[in-house]
Amino acid sequence: MRYALLITGSPYQSKACHSALRFLKAALSSSDHVLEGVFFYQDAVLIGNKLTQPPRDELNLTAAWQSLAKEHQLPLSLCIAASVRRGIIDEKESQRYELTESSLADGFQLEGLGRLVELINTTHKVIQFR
Amino acid sequence: MKKTLIHLTTSPYTGLACKEGLDLALVLGTFEQQVDICLSDAATALLFVNQDPSSEHGKQLHKLLDGLEFYDINNVFIENNKLTNKTEIWPNTQALNKEEWHSLFSKYEHVFRF
Repeated sequence: MRYALLITGSPYQSKACHSALRFLKAALSSSDHVLEGVFFYQDAVLIGNKLTQPPRDELNLTAAWQSLAKEHQLPLSLCIAASVRRGIIDEKESQRYELTESSLADGFQLEGLGRLVELINTTHKVIQFR
Repeated sequence: MKKTLIHLTTSPYTGLACKEGLDLALVLGTFEQQVDICLSDAATALLFVNQDPSSEHGKQLHKLLDGLEFYDINNVFIENNKLTNKTEIWPNTQALNKEEWHSLFSKYEHVFRF
């Protein structure tokens, strides 16, 4: 079965990003399942902030997502509108808004909601974590 | 074509969830996807007429409702008797009885909650 994940819960106010990560690991361990992509929306886009520094004795959630995505060549998409309003900016948006910095972590990319529509249409199930 | 239901549950003035749920509905409509909306709980505040929020309150989302038809979003559902009769609400909602409301969610391939 082909899956996509829609994650909307904040990494700091919910366990949505944690639960999705665990689901993803379980799904990827089975050859019966294919993960087409992960789309972060609403406060979940905060996962893509490269400037966050979690305490050393806590899970670095952003790094955990980056590692898993790299290992399985999994695209991690952040909604561009939701990201920009929350200060998650890539190089292109940094130039567009005439800023001096960017804040998007490696392994994540800013994309429009059209990417989510594409995932909806190319998978059997889209599972929301909120 | 897959059918998607956007279920709004949060107040338009306590956060961005309601707005971002509506944004997704509009994008689905733009991409000619079949999308309906249903509202429950605090999200029903979106339907009240004569809203005049300040910028601190949040964006005037009620005005978006009249534009839904331009995105071919023609079904906006609420559960019957969940709003007081004294409250004037946006007129184009479809009120469902309890059974219809509960069966609504099984009619769609995708249900996203905001």
